[in-house]
Amino acid sequence: MSAVRRFAADLKNLADIRSFVQEQATALQVDPDMVADIILAVDESATNIIEHGYDGQPGEVEIEVRQEGKAMVICLRDQAPLFDPTHLPSPDVDLPLDKRPLGGVGVYLTRHMMDEVSYRVTPQGGNELTLVKRAIGLNPAQGEVP
Amino acid sequence: MNLTVEQAQGRVPVTILSLQGDLDASNYQQIIARGRELYAAGTRHLLLDMSGTSFMSSSGLVALHSLALLMRGESPPDPEAGWRAIRAVGEEVSEGQPANVKLLKPQPQVDRVLERSGLKQFFEVHTDREAAIAAF
Repeated sequence: MSAVRRFAADLKNLADIRSFVQEQATALQVDPDMVADIILAVDESATNIIEHGYDGQPGEVEIEVRQEGKAMVICLRDQAPLFDPTHLPSPDVDLPLDKRPLGGVGVYLTRHMMDEVSYRVTPQGGNELTLVKRAIGLNPAQGEVP
Repeated sequence: MNLTVEQAQGRVPVTILSLQGDLDASNYQQIIARGRELYAAGTRHLLLDMSGTSFMSSSGLVALHSLALLMRGESPPDPEAGWRAIRAVGEEVSEGQPANVKLLKPQPQVDRVLERSGLKQFFEVHTDREAAIAAF
């Protein structure tokens, strides 16, 4: 199973992006608690691409959702200037607020919600951020996702 | 996102701002703008009814913090300042000041974002509207 959709790089499209991910997660019968985490992670990632990557310039965000074994994999691709968000430092939220490094709230939440977050430059020279949520198939009527 | 405003009277006048819909990067500044208007109109104690807020991203955290600052007569922070942008909420609590922005009935997804970000401890959360009004 794989689905791809392109969205104009506009914050007004975040709701449609979330709906697309929700539809795909529902089709995969992903546990509802996990769906909420996945949707938040995709929203935060898409927001960063639109706000900081394209920074007001026109462009597109391509989102691919696919199943790999028992995992749901989401790839976000864009043609904004190259930027690897996985290199941002991860704050320790047990620290007092004034001891935490600045920035990266959305990136932190994305890492926290997903099992794996990776980045690469595509052969076409664009950004590709991959989010992975493992062990998604928990519907007892259907059994585990093969 | 739809915003509705009500007034209530506890020990002090309380403005209830209901946030209905999804709170994300496309509309969080709308919340801050409404907070500015309310402060200019005299609001100093704000109860945010989040029972109809179906989704909140980190942009929503910035909005909540900005409202807390506005109700204290301070300027909202630069949203790009990240954790620093929400630091003053913790300072307010640690200084023992009564929080002038409280949350009513955040839904599970919103509650999870508050918890995962480590910020839940800095917001007074209520499940009963009358008790929340009386807590100001």
